[in-house]
Amino acid sequence: MKVLNAILGVVFLVTFVSRPLLGAGWYWDLGNGIGFAAFGGLLYLTISSGRHLDVQLHQVLAYAVLFLTLAHVSWFLLGDAAAVEYVKFGAPDHMWIGIASLLLLFVLVTSALMPDRLRLHKDYSIFKYWHRVIAIATIFSATYHIVVSNFYVNSKLQILLFAAIAVAASFGQAVWRRSDKLRLPSLTMFLSSCFVAILVFAVVRNLPL
Amino acid sequence: MKLLFLAFAAFIGLVIAYGTPIGGEKPKTGHFYGSPEPILPMTFAHLDHVTESCIECHHNYVDDTGNDRCMYCHVRDAEIWPLLETQFHDLCQGCHTKKAALAEQGGPPRRCIACHLGDNLP
Repeated sequence: MKVLNAILGVVFLVTFVSRPLLGAGWYWDLGNGIGFAAFGGLLYLTISSGRHLDVQLHQVLAYAVLFLTLAHVSWFLLGDAAAVEYVKFGAPDHMWIGIASLLLLFVLVTSALMPDRLRLHKDYSIFKYWHRVIAIATIFSATYHIVVSNFYVNSKLQILLFAAIAVAASFGQAVWRRSDKLRLPSLTMFLSSCFVAILVFAVVRNLPL
Repeated sequence: MKLLFLAFAAFIGLVIAYGTPIGGEKPKTGHFYGSPEPILPMTFAHLDHVTESCIECHHNYVDDTGNDRCMYCHVRDAEIWPLLETQFHDLCQGCHTKKAALAEQGGPPRRCIACHLGDNLP
């Protein structure tokens, strides 16, 4: 639980490095907060996968990350009638890469579920290899989507920090694997942490402090 | 879980196809100002921007790169046209965002529909 909170804390803190009080309005900040929470959840599930993984809980939390991502997308499509242009041809590349990231996440989650996993990969080691490759591709495409969207992340330092977070989560397995005691939180605890982070993110940017 | 996901995806598909029931009036894209491809309408009133210096937007007043309406070059010039979205987002959104960061009164920094409903204002 501490590791989850630390990761969510780092992701949200980096967004506050530059212009911390800049808000885009409650609706947009809450929607983007959901997106950042989904990104934090994705990083957490990547670094928490190790030798003593609770596979069932990992799958439940992965679905939670997928639904947070879908909530992030549908939030804007529902609340802003012009946002639909960002999912059509002619949309900027960072939006298309965001959509690619969502599709990769969908493949990542659904292709790992039994019995479909066995249909795709009979050999566990091959599944594990591809599951990791798709996870890394999802992390980097989501990172690109975040940094190039250029609202909360608009300084070189923030871009570097986000890139560092993505690299650490993707390739720091040797370090994270030492954390054998890393236990996944329940779905309720996971969503509670995300909810608090999203709320703090929107409150700081919208309340006159 | 898969069914729930498919229902969610179908819901998003319906919103993309038919528009949002709660997100306000859907802007109609069109060949505004003679654009070669359909673009979103834009909201802009000079009266809302009288506190800004003219040359903040009208670069041609100082660099002599055009002498007609903004869209004459930005939409009809084949070289400049592909940059329309980036250039105008940088200009309008950039200024609105700077003002928001300084807690000054300014236009919407992010909400798409706030700028992309057409108007007939000068």
